[in-house]
Amino acid sequence: MVNVFLRELKALRKSLVIWCIGILAMVAGGMSKYGATESAGQSINELMVSMPKALQAIMGTGSLDLTTVSGYYGILFLYLIVMTTIHAVMLGANIVSKEERDKTAEFLLVKPISRKQVIFSKWMASLVAIIVINLVTFLISHIMVDYYNKTDDSYLIDIAELMGGMFILQLLFLCLGTSIAASMKHPKRAASISTAVLLITFFLSMVIDLNENLEILSVFTPFKYFEAKDIIGGTGYEALYIMLSIILVVVLTIYTFIAYEKRDLHI
Amino acid sequence: MNVIESNQLTKVYGKARGISNVTFSVREGEIFGFIGPNGAGKSTTIRTLLALIYPTSGSATIFGKDCIKHAPEIKKEIGYLPSEVFYYDNMKVIDLLKYSASFYKKDCTKRMKELADALNLDLSKKIDDLSLGNKKKVGIVQGLLHEPKLIILDEPTSGLDPLMQQKFFELLKEENKKGATILFSSHILSEVQKLCDRVAIIKEGEIVKVETMSALTENSYKKFRLETINEVSPDFFKLEGVTDITRKEKTLSFIYKGNINTIITKIAEIPLKNLWVEEPTLEEIFMHYYEKEE
Repeated sequence: MVNVFLRELKALRKSLVIWCIGILAMVAGGMSKYGATESAGQSINELMVSMPKALQAIMGTGSLDLTTVSGYYGILFLYLIVMTTIHAVMLGANIVSKEERDKTAEFLLVKPISRKQVIFSKWMASLVAIIVINLVTFLISHIMVDYYNKTDDSYLIDIAELMGGMFILQLLFLCLGTSIAASMKHPKRAASISTAVLLITFFLSMVIDLNENLEILSVFTPFKYFEAKDIIGGTGYEALYIMLSIILVVVLTIYTFIAYEKRDLHI
Repeated sequence: MNVIESNQLTKVYGKARGISNVTFSVREGEIFGFIGPNGAGKSTTIRTLLALIYPTSGSATIFGKDCIKHAPEIKKEIGYLPSEVFYYDNMKVIDLLKYSASFYKKDCTKRMKELADALNLDLSKKIDDLSLGNKKKVGIVQGLLHEPKLIILDEPTSGLDPLMQQKFFELLKEENKKGATILFSSHILSEVQKLCDRVAIIKEGEIVKVETMSALTENSYKKFRLETINEVSPDFFKLEGVTDITRKEKTLSFIYKGNINTIITKIAEIPLKNLWVEEPTLEEIFMHYYEKEE
């Protein structure tokens, strides 16, 4: 089992580096724009408010105060969430389905190892990968925010809380990816279907931003579970969404194990 | 003792043909051939035995244990070479073999080196850069390096040149002498003939016959084709064991079963320009051997 885990980690190395560079570019690029808007002062908030609500929703500004570095980072956080969850969902789908896609299932699954052990090893390797992504994002974010922070306040705790939320979402989408790949008859399509599910929930979260009457639908889109405006704004995590996330992670994980155990491998 | 015992094993796929009521057993220490045309269900049977897919009904045991329930345990003693070898890209041969060996709780380094030497396999190359035949060699070494008690081979010779094939058969015979049981699937009759003690013939998902090799060769058919100098009437060859006589100008062809001397004597009576004696294809064997039984 350890050998499969190590093998998977090795296979993930390259893509992890690329994703980390992407995150670095995103945070550094995004925050450097803050340097530019900062000088505009309060007028940037007025500009934002005057924009149509749809545009605000797409940009993810909401009630964030763009004159503060934390408010500005809050916008960036939305994009970071999208990036890291796409990484997680694709990772989950691919790590399970690739054995069948690359026809290596006839190698791995004839070794003295059970399917549960295979999934467990892959799951652990994925967990390491999303933790690395999370920590790298945390580190880069902290450095960049600190660099542009002209006040004496430290935002370390705020960012840590945001990263906590991001980690739960990463975990959630990782499990979504694995469960789709584990249950599909044609695992080749697992990655695209998983990504489609992610985008649908993401657009749903935008639609909810546009129309307050739809707030009730928030439970259906994890993108509404941990929003920067709530976490930075001071209300912190919502117990309901934490519970919901934990339940989903547990259910999807168990489902992954059972589904992969039960179905025929596609060779 | 039977190493493999398949009992009414059935696998139904939606529309595609699966296997139905496949029953056979492989005794300890024998080389068992599993022969049939492409798509007959050889791979399906093997994959079910290996618990890669699950049977719709029926069951099978390997080493006396249920092949699905005890799969991980059974597989400690199984070496498998799939018909198509694909391995993790970007891996060197040695890495792949070490990865393979890491699943077994014994030191396989020595055997790995021996096998690689015997097959002329360069361990330092990347698998991606290998030719089909060399990839097949990686598959062979990977399947044999832990000295399994049961070796399962699915169309193992495709892609191997005749010389390598010979080497490979020698390796298998060696393993067999050391006590390994071998299940060998193929669609080429002659290679099964070379190696196997008994064969199961599978056709359209069903076992048509399980025979000892000697019984099968006794009944072996030969395809004769002769180009004669003068036109010869097909009636000339009307004798016991000759079927399917066709004539196209000066070329006569027929299928013969029986004492080879009888027919050679007969042929010697006429002046020939050319002569071919061929193994009939498996399809032809099926047609002639089993038509009567149906």
